[in-house]
Amino acid sequence: MLERKSTPFEILRYGIILIVLLWTVFPIVWLILTSLKPANDIMVSPPRFFFTPTLENYAYAIGKANFAMFIVNTLVVSLASTFIVVILASLAAYSFARYNVGQGNILFFILTTKMMPAIAVVLPFFLIFRDIGRTPVGEALGIGLDTRAALIISYTIFNLPFAIWLMVSFFQDISRELEESARLNGYNRLQVLQKVVLPLAAPGIAVTAIFCLIFSWNEFLFAYILTRDAARTITVGVESFFTLRGILWGPVAAAATISVVPMLIFVLVLQRYMVRGLTFGAVRG
Amino acid sequence: MASTSMSTPQDTRSVPKKQGRAMSDAWFAVLLILPAMIIIAFFALYPLFYAIEVSFRLADLTAGGIKGFVGLDNYRTVLFDKFFWESVTTTLVFTVVAVAIEVLLGIFVAFLINGATVGKGLIRSLLILPLATAPAVTGLFWRYLYDTQFGLYNYFLGLLGLPQPNWLGDINVALWAVIVFDVWLWMPFVALIVLAGLQALPKEPFEAAELDGAPYFRVLRKLTFPMLKPVLFLVIILRTIDALRLYDAVAVLTRGGPGSTTETMTYYLYRQGLVFFRMDYASTMALLFLYAVVVAALFALKPLLNMFGARAGAR
Repeated sequence: MLERKSTPFEILRYGIILIVLLWTVFPIVWLILTSLKPANDIMVSPPRFFFTPTLENYAYAIGKANFAMFIVNTLVVSLASTFIVVILASLAAYSFARYNVGQGNILFFILTTKMMPAIAVVLPFFLIFRDIGRTPVGEALGIGLDTRAALIISYTIFNLPFAIWLMVSFFQDISRELEESARLNGYNRLQVLQKVVLPLAAPGIAVTAIFCLIFSWNEFLFAYILTRDAARTITVGVESFFTLRGILWGPVAAAATISVVPMLIFVLVLQRYMVRGLTFGAVRG
Repeated sequence: MASTSMSTPQDTRSVPKKQGRAMSDAWFAVLLILPAMIIIAFFALYPLFYAIEVSFRLADLTAGGIKGFVGLDNYRTVLFDKFFWESVTTTLVFTVVAVAIEVLLGIFVAFLINGATVGKGLIRSLLILPLATAPAVTGLFWRYLYDTQFGLYNYFLGLLGLPQPNWLGDINVALWAVIVFDVWLWMPFVALIVLAGLQALPKEPFEAAELDGAPYFRVLRKLTFPMLKPVLFLVIILRTIDALRLYDAVAVLTRGGPGSTTETMTYYLYRQGLVFFRMDYASTMALLFLYAVVVAALFALKPLLNMFGARAGAR
């Protein structure tokens, strides 16, 4: 690329980049710092940048609300829905990528299901799960309001369109010739899929899985509407904790940190693929 | 399709086949898609049909649930509802301003990073962090950052001698508070996509232009931007669709207030449907919204995605 390489210009460049990075990262850093501050260092003006770190906010938050249960719920719901999504989506995406079913029209229909405002989808879901929960079948399977199963089903539907799109782009990268030669060597279609395609698509599948995990972990609205206590997830847990104890920013920050940090770590691992994931596979980052 | 012709020569070969009976490619393809499609069709279409049905009925859940047909009454009520149009205006203002800032700033930052010689990897991993956080959780914390007394932003503005607005309490500022949060969350996304687009550009035309001694801004105008166009369009459309659906940030940051100054369409929809339980109005609004977004997506997003798909297929 053509670039001017004069020193003042370079200083300006890195200066602006530094400001952008500080602005981007500081709210997260400040959140974590606030969670470690003693109570009397939080509500002060001017803000304090140096203090003796303490874990008292975490102790308080964990003592007042059942964050362990929120985390377990979130983990179970996220992992289970991700597992189901990855299986269903990889089969469908392979078929779309290789056999071009529907010439892109079905694929686009799948994408449009994500354009309904989530708020408009959540009430019919609420009614579905309320009604299923009242039937013997629902009771036997543990599907109903305030159950993990309801959230697992919701997140599966919620993440399927995205996962299919992302995986189609990964499957398209796998060379057709390799599959053809495997078939010439006597593999049937299912064996080709199982022994050639899926191993080659493993990185793409892993990336998709981690994305689904992040989206499920961070989801708020469905969890807010569909759960009360037993199946409450971490984002809603933080929100309700805030509603009850809004002035106590230390414990609120501790709760928020508990919710945010696991995904921050994931994203640092994943950063190479983030662009691709967030553009539904269109831009190869 | 190419695949059907591909299997024909193979069937006539004498290679021992392990499969029992032959299944056509078309059936195999459909079978793979079926489980996902059944789930999507049921759970995506059910809310849709539910909304369509309820939009023609009286449905006040506080007064006996879903009642008789009322024809187009709900559509009339919504279209003459002053607050509905106010929320549409708020949504459009928010979308235009936020997306414009995110895109312009994002492009600028992407160009700066693209030209940087050191630390690109680190810059990228830091920029991506906001996208890992739940807006419902970080938005909550931003209330503390916006605090007039203890907040970090007004502290820094004070140091710079700038005015210190009451971010969430002033009716003239509150929408800006939401916009600034959205820019924080999404500008890095735009920058990263544009950066990816820049790095995928072919080298040759630019080397040729350099040999010809073409001035920098002419190269930008004649080469870089035209070649970057698909990526820019894609990011603008994705951001627009998302901004129109903004909910989480408003819900935790301002709850539509003060007054109704930050009440976006989706938040108004939430209040009608889940606070007042007027499912008829809420469904009608949701359908109008969906219709607008899907039409826009059909005209703008589909050709674009097809183009990216074709490019990938050509690899």
